[in-house]
Amino acid sequence: MKKYNFIVGVPGSRLKDFTDKIENYIPCTREDEAMALAVGAYLVGKKPLVFLQNSGLGNMVDIITSLLKPYDIKIDLLISVRNKPKHHAFMGKITKRLLKLLEYKNCKLLIQ
Amino acid sequence: MKRIDAIRKIVKNVKDEIIISSTGMISRELYAVKDRPRNFYVQGSMGCTLGIGLGIAINSKHKVIVISGDAETLMSLGTLALHKKLNPKNLKHYILDNGCHSSTGAQPTCSDVINFAKIAPNTVVLKVSKEKGDAPRIPLSPKQIKRRFRNAICSDNS
Repeated sequence: MKKYNFIVGVPGSRLKDFTDKIENYIPCTREDEAMALAVGAYLVGKKPLVFLQNSGLGNMVDIITSLLKPYDIKIDLLISVRNKPKHHAFMGKITKRLLKLLEYKNCKLLIQ
Repeated sequence: MKRIDAIRKIVKNVKDEIIISSTGMISRELYAVKDRPRNFYVQGSMGCTLGIGLGIAINSKHKVIVISGDAETLMSLGTLALHKKLNPKNLKHYILDNGCHSSTGAQPTCSDVINFAKIAPNTVVLKVSKEKGDAPRIPLSPKQIKRRFRNAICSDNS
C-alpha cells in the first residue's frame, strides 16, 4: 500500500482487515463519490487507491464511462468480490465481465 | 439573476484559485465568461463535481471553488455530509439554484424543499433564472482540459 498516498472508498465486511491495517483513509457515502475524491487527488499529483465491494461497482459505472474514460484518468481499484448470500450472487457472477466490458484494467480483485 | 451573471459575479475577483465546474451549461458558461487553465470543466459524471473539489482541497493547499447546480447537488446529497465531516477551509461551494433541469426542458427538481447551506459549510446558494442559456460547447477535448489543468497545478504544487 506504500505506493498510494491517498486511500478512499466504501467499507465492506471483507475489506475490514485491509481498512484496519491502513492508518488514514476516507470512508465515503457512495462508490462514485469515493472515485470523485480520488480523481481530485489525482489532479493535484497524488497517487490514489479506491476500495469497494463489488456490490457497489454499479454505482461507479457513470463516473468511469463519462469521466475516467474521456479524460484518460486511471485510478487503481481494490474490489472485494462477494458471491453469497443470494443478493450478492448475480453481481458476483458478472463482476469480472463488467470490468472487462468497462475496459477497466488497473484493479485488484479479492475473491472470497 | 441569470446563471451566467451569477458565474460572472463568482469569478470576478478570482486570482489563482482552482475552479471545478459541473457538467452541462455551468461549465460552458464558465468557459464563455473566463476560460483559464486552472478551470477544470467536468463533463459527464453528474453528481461528482463537489467530490472532485473535496479531493483537491484535502490533498493540497490550493483554494478551490466548486460551481454546481441544484439538480447536480441533489444527486449526491451524501457528499454534502462528507463536506461537513472533512470541512476543508480552502473550499467554497457555490450552488446555482434554478429549481429545475434547465438543459433538458426545465423539469422541476426538489431544491425548493431543502436548504443546502444548512447541511454543508462554506456553501452559498444563488437563486438563478430558469433560462437554458446559449453558451456554445467548450472547444477543448476532455484530455486537453485535464492536461492543461495538471500542467498549471502540478508545476506549483504545494
